[in-house]
Amino acid sequence: MAVVKLAADYAPEPCTGCRLCDIVCPSGAIRMVERKPVIAEDLCIGCGRCVDRCPEEIMWMKERAEPLKVTVTPEEAPAEEVLALLEKAGIDPTISVCVCTLTPASEVAGAVIKGAQNLEEVCAMTGLRSGCGIYCVAPALRLLEAAGRDMTPPKQHRWYPSALSLWDLDESVRARYPDAFIGEDQDAFDPEGRFHQTKEQQA
Amino acid sequence: MTATAALLPPAFMPSDYGPALRPHVSEQMDSFVSLPVRDLFPSFAPAITDGDEADRDKVRAETRAALAKVDMSRISADDTVNILASEHGFGLMGGWPYAEMIKTIREVVIERTGCRKVNLRLAIYRGFREADEVNHHFGFDEAFEGRVHGLGPFDQGVEVETAIGPMYLVKRAFDSTKFIHAYYDDPREMYFNRLLYKSFKSFCMSYARFETRSIYHSMFGNRSGSIIPRALFDSEFIQCRYAFSSVLCTTPVGVVGVDATTDLYAIDRRITRSHLETYGRMQRLFSEIKDCVAIWDGGRWGYYLHSGGLIFGTLLTNHSDSFDLDQPVVAGFMQVPGAPVNFSRNKSLRGIVVNQAWVGAGIPYVTMPFTTPMYIVGEEQAKLWREDSSNPMLMDRAKVVDSLQQGIAMACEKGQTDKLLVFDGSYGHLTCSQSLADHLLARAPEVDRVVGEQLLPKWLAQRGLS
Repeated sequence: MAVVKLAADYAPEPCTGCRLCDIVCPSGAIRMVERKPVIAEDLCIGCGRCVDRCPEEIMWMKERAEPLKVTVTPEEAPAEEVLALLEKAGIDPTISVCVCTLTPASEVAGAVIKGAQNLEEVCAMTGLRSGCGIYCVAPALRLLEAAGRDMTPPKQHRWYPSALSLWDLDESVRARYPDAFIGEDQDAFDPEGRFHQTKEQQA
Repeated sequence: MTATAALLPPAFMPSDYGPALRPHVSEQMDSFVSLPVRDLFPSFAPAITDGDEADRDKVRAETRAALAKVDMSRISADDTVNILASEHGFGLMGGWPYAEMIKTIREVVIERTGCRKVNLRLAIYRGFREADEVNHHFGFDEAFEGRVHGLGPFDQGVEVETAIGPMYLVKRAFDSTKFIHAYYDDPREMYFNRLLYKSFKSFCMSYARFETRSIYHSMFGNRSGSIIPRALFDSEFIQCRYAFSSVLCTTPVGVVGVDATTDLYAIDRRITRSHLETYGRMQRLFSEIKDCVAIWDGGRWGYYLHSGGLIFGTLLTNHSDSFDLDQPVVAGFMQVPGAPVNFSRNKSLRGIVVNQAWVGAGIPYVTMPFTTPMYIVGEEQAKLWREDSSNPMLMDRAKVVDSLQQGIAMACEKGQTDKLLVFDGSYGHLTCSQSLADHLLARAPEVDRVVGEQLLPKWLAQRGLS
């Protein structure tokens, strides 16, 4: 769960309609209408990236009257479906995929099960990317991909469909980079062979 | 006892991402001392500078000497060359040694190759205004005749095919026919990079889109993540543009030289060996600190502020030996089932006083504020922290204090310690309390022996460097 205390706001003049705020918004909260940004406050997760990006310096973060709690609860997504999606993506359900909001992987999977179609919707539903906006992205993309969502990258480089994982590397890679601890890490992080084939399973 | 009255740390760059510059700890309190690193470990070689700007000519001379041996035949007069710089270099000793190396590279490339179209690309992290700040502060626009651009993880990407699959770099970093990897060897997050091919890390961080950065940090372990930057460096996309590398070399004493060649793997082997010998000893010495209060007092993110050449993050994660590759995890998202490592907590760290530092601005402090008392000096800083989206809960826990002295007194009382360590950007010495200086001086000989006789041989063997 993310507790969002701030929301973006801006002054219409002298906005030039450059769209940079829209492009960097991680949750789809900013849309351009007649070359001016329209901010959907209920979708704003308070990351402040638009304020930092604005070349005219006419945006700011304002305090919300009441903090917005952004979350997908266990009741909103069947546990067995959540676990199955995490298993398919090769993501341990117990880890936090976002170190800013401490959002667990199971909540992100829950957002996808609940119906999130793309990265922006996952962020709006969970608060993912409200902090650094970087480290949580790959697990979210991998869960979307595992759920069969359309991974065609959106316009203006909002995100690219990149979700490589340790589990994707095979023997040929291990042979090319023998000192990269690929097999060792695969065995250490997945001793039961849920996400990769252990040596025992291969035998 | 060799500690002297506390020295002033190198001056740092003012920034929108931090508070207005304040007097340093060593200017406000006379109870601190400077403990020379070479008194702890006399075998460390002297540095050519520890941040004194009067040493500019020494850095330029070292850079020229290193570049004189570099094969620059990959660059022709018709090429356009990007010098790729990474932001953390500007956090080393005030940033000017790195800036001087970069400016000197440009001069030598023009002299040697006749190429005039030499650009600087400043890779930054999350702050969109940071590249402009760096450009202005270090005078790059003038030095590069306006051929300077910033770039960051949210900029347009370019897909790069690698041996492990496609990944995304930042297009602007490679909008030239050739590029130069202008790096620095600050080991910084040793608990993440484990000194495994650290010299390549920029290829999956500074020069990369946020998706690639996320893969490196979230989808691989500390050790196996080292394959990401190498796979990118080895890709055809990079190799057909790559000219050479030039690396500012450091030890905890300061800048010790510049290493430059076309063979980045060779540079990495030399740097790794040097780091294990020097930073390795300092890291193990930090693990001998059993109780202390840390003070942030610099112009970068708190995690990345140096003391004796080591960043605060090293103190936070000194629960284990970062260099022992038999350990799968020191820090990171991927965890061994049933044996999670809380890399954001160190029970020996009894408190943190923030005299000045950038707010989170993209750097999350994870669970640290929940477990370690934090004291923020002054309402101006507290306001910045309240607005920091990377750490939404931090100010629910941190206390605002009126003065540095008050923060230190409260932290020491609550933490039941009189040992204080200041992260003020210092190399060559640690700014600390007399009690901590005494403790470190007493422990250093045994650390030196254990590292030299036991740990270093193991660390080197694990990396094929015996």
